[in-house]
Amino acid sequence: MKIRTKPGGVLGIVAMASIVALSLSGCTRGGSGQGGGSGASPGITDTSITLGITTPLSGATAGPGTCTVAGVSAYFGAVNAAGGVKFGDGKTRTVTIKSYDDAYDPQKSLANFQQMVSDNVFAATAGLGTPTNRAYRDAAISEKFPQVLVMTGDPLFSDQKQSPWQLGFVPIYQNEGAAFGKLLAASKDQHKVALLSQNDDYGKGYVSGFKEAIKDASNISVVGEQTYEATDTSVDAQLTQLASSGADVFFNAMSVTPLTIAALQKAQQIGWKPSWFLPSNTSSPTAILEPGGAAAYPGIYSVSFAKAPQSPAFAKDPDVVKFLSELKQYGNYPDMPAFPHCMWSYMVGATLEQAFKNMTSPTRDSFMTALRNIKGLQAPLMLSGTSIDTTVDGQPAVSSVIVQKYNGKGYATAENFG
Amino acid sequence: MSTVSPVLRNRSARIALTVVVAIALIAAPLLLPAFANQTLVRIGVYAVAVLGLNIVMGYTGQVNLGQIFFVGLGAYVTAYGVNHGWNIIVVFVAACAIAGIVGLLVALAAARLGGLAIAMVTIALPIVGVPLAKRLSEFTGGSQGISARFSDAPDWSGLYSDQWQFYIVLLVTAAAFLLARSLVQGKYGRAFGVVRENEAVAASMGVSPYRTKVLAFTIASILGGASGFLYLAAVQYTSPETLSFGHSISLLAAMVIGGAGSIAGSLIGGAYYVFVPQLTNAIDPSFTTLSQGAILLVVLFLLPEGLVSLPRVIRRLGRRRTARPTSGNPPQTAPAHHPVPEAAREGLENTERQDRP
Amino acid sequence: MTLLELADVTAFYGPVQVLDGVSLSVPEGGSVGILGANGAGKTTTLRAVSGTVRTGGRITFDGRDIRGLRPDQVAALGIAHVPEGRGTLGQLSVRENLLVGAYLRKGRKAISADVDYCLDLFPQLQDRVSSRAAALSGGEQQMLAVARAFMAKPKLLLLDEASLGLAPSTAKTVYDSIRRLRRESGIAMVVVEQNANLAFSLVDTATVLETGRNVLTGSSAELKGMDEIRRAYLGG
Repeated sequence: MKIRTKPGGVLGIVAMASIVALSLSGCTRGGSGQGGGSGASPGITDTSITLGITTPLSGATAGPGTCTVAGVSAYFGAVNAAGGVKFGDGKTRTVTIKSYDDAYDPQKSLANFQQMVSDNVFAATAGLGTPTNRAYRDAAISEKFPQVLVMTGDPLFSDQKQSPWQLGFVPIYQNEGAAFGKLLAASKDQHKVALLSQNDDYGKGYVSGFKEAIKDASNISVVGEQTYEATDTSVDAQLTQLASSGADVFFNAMSVTPLTIAALQKAQQIGWKPSWFLPSNTSSPTAILEPGGAAAYPGIYSVSFAKAPQSPAFAKDPDVVKFLSELKQYGNYPDMPAFPHCMWSYMVGATLEQAFKNMTSPTRDSFMTALRNIKGLQAPLMLSGTSIDTTVDGQPAVSSVIVQKYNGKGYATAENFG
Repeated sequence: MSTVSPVLRNRSARIALTVVVAIALIAAPLLLPAFANQTLVRIGVYAVAVLGLNIVMGYTGQVNLGQIFFVGLGAYVTAYGVNHGWNIIVVFVAACAIAGIVGLLVALAAARLGGLAIAMVTIALPIVGVPLAKRLSEFTGGSQGISARFSDAPDWSGLYSDQWQFYIVLLVTAAAFLLARSLVQGKYGRAFGVVRENEAVAASMGVSPYRTKVLAFTIASILGGASGFLYLAAVQYTSPETLSFGHSISLLAAMVIGGAGSIAGSLIGGAYYVFVPQLTNAIDPSFTTLSQGAILLVVLFLLPEGLVSLPRVIRRLGRRRTARPTSGNPPQTAPAHHPVPEAAREGLENTERQDRP
Repeated sequence: MTLLELADVTAFYGPVQVLDGVSLSVPEGGSVGILGANGAGKTTTLRAVSGTVRTGGRITFDGRDIRGLRPDQVAALGIAHVPEGRGTLGQLSVRENLLVGAYLRKGRKAISADVDYCLDLFPQLQDRVSSRAAALSGGEQQMLAVARAFMAKPKLLLLDEASLGLAPSTAKTVYDSIRRLRRESGIAMVVVEQNANLAFSLVDTATVLETGRNVLTGSSAELKGMDEIRRAYLGG
């Protein structure tokens, strides 16, 4: 019974904590002018600007989610240490990053957005996830709140008419499919292609990008086309069907890791050995290609736009060395990045800095204008041949990807097919 | 009744308090900042979902791990109806009715099974629901989800959207809580309690355990659907993620934290569901899971009957403190007058055992 | 007129036969005792009536075959069962326990009047009416179980070992109240009881069971003091 006399204090803490949570909401309607000068948008003063990131920091997608925060923090951590960014209005500001965990729950990302508004955040950026970004898209539009360079392959975010305050960062699914289609169309030989795709917007995006790119290529014919459901546990039947088409190229728009491994194994079992195309998120050399026995095939192709720090080819690359040390020092991420999102969000940092340099007044309007006018920016860590281009309606900031071929260890840029 | 302080037993004081609370709730959104309103709106959304869960689990004692499925179903029905231009009342009724009908059909099958088997069936709901929502893209918008806006404040109201949403949520939540309260205090509420405690005794008094379980499950599903409607009013978007299994567990935790078998506890549970992520985000966004787990454990350890029992515990502590200096007795004298139910039950079993020949 | 009639009723728990042709007849408003040693099948006979065990043979109530009905259906016909171990609903208050008993009834006023009647019948419950039933003493719980069964306004009350685990004086108080209840309400009863004196204070006729069979049936006056009775209770 003695224990029972103690809790008062702890309960007090709990009660205090809830009061703190409540008072965090404090901010009067209209977000009264926190700006430095007259007419400044919320979240920007004469000396600083605040960015918000709502992203999964817990749950199944916490790995890539953590990377999205780490990359941006690493980039601006180094920039701040060097004095900050000289904005287009002549003032130098430091960049503050506020991160919010949404656990890949749309409802929470909306709540986080509402909290950003109340926390006087200038813009949301780099957050990962299609449903989570969609959940607050409408709210961001009515609040005239930039939601930019977010990590989703959903084309909606790059449609300026529907999403005036948004911009996607990573290539949309169509971009990846198209890159491979282009490479194939440029080949001197005749190719027969078999398509297998996930029966949703993911698979459909890849296939439509690919078909668009080979539309006028007389040397390419699609000889077989199958789909599967994301919940299926086997695609053996589809593979057998496609193998009988005699295709020498297999375009496999699949997002499920174990299924991709099983497909790589099954095709060689039935004696079908085409060249493969795999999407960027299911082409990991160690996690998928090695267990799948990919060395048996004449070629495994995928796409990328970022230098891979773990690849020996880039071990001494100055971008990579700088990136890794900043990631450790400012990004609170001491290990080798396990997900490309670390590199991508680092590039987001560079893109934002470019926009800041060009914005002429401390307003969200001016920021959006500046952001939509970046062309040919070679952000650090970008593969040569890719660049940031925010000027094309309907395209994300990065729409160019480089087709790469698996060389038994990692990927190397593929100049042509075969 | 034992939780209600003596003041509230006084009828006129009670009416006065109700009026004050009602006025406060109606005036609040006009005075509070937007983010506070948005937070209260989400609390309403989840309070209704937790309330449903409480009916079937807290009151009737049937494990239900699928409540989020009905929330998602209600949200999808709402999105579909809004995007097809249905009248909003029709949308609301449809969200409740379709969730209720699905719940009824599931319950008719599941309630025949005992204990853990029901739990398994209810686990299956969100697990099947997510891929189903992705596949039926014609209705659901597939994995990209579906937006539907019906809760922006109309121009004539002169309100901000967060205020307008507050009133929508307040209306539905208040109705749900009042209905649920009269339900559990009445005949069916007692039947729920008997089935929870002893199905054999229930049957011997003419309460069919099967029908009672089906009824509780169906009501929970209807409230889930209503919560889904509110979800869409608050979030204006839904996707397969909405009904993922993990959220069902969070709802369950919220119910236990708030207070199982308590109407007020459901409201507290809804607040917990919404506040805790905000609180843990404020502590450190990288450790939300950890700090949420810690909060859960602390609350359960200190208040095993949920946050709703906090006033009772404080009263007990207060009484002990005031009793000590006057009586000079060791502290164990005070609690003896207010036996904790668990202790009483334990004691009773002891006497029974001793008495048996 | 016969209210309840059991003819040649059999029942098994798994492979074990517990009832081997039990017969019983309860006239309207009558009170019949079932006596016998532990394991003779007394409780099972009551459970056969209330529908909680599967049985063979014939069970008619009010001229209607009730064998195979679900317990809640049996209850709806007007048979209330006070089970062994009382079946108290500990988390519900005393008042709620009583109201639950009236689940199938309509008419708020009559129900409320019967609650008052029960509290008059068992004054010990009066003070505890708002407390959880779990906090009651064993005797009070037994009273509550009887009162709850009465709240259903049944035609027949099945009473199983109402004295079990109670101090002798408490058991006597309980039986006194049940006798009064019977006198004032005219409800028919089937009474299972280990304590012969208590049983005979309440029943008109009784039957003695041994290994699932009737071995002796007669009026209380005839049976009182007979050797077979003593043997039955001593387990002979």
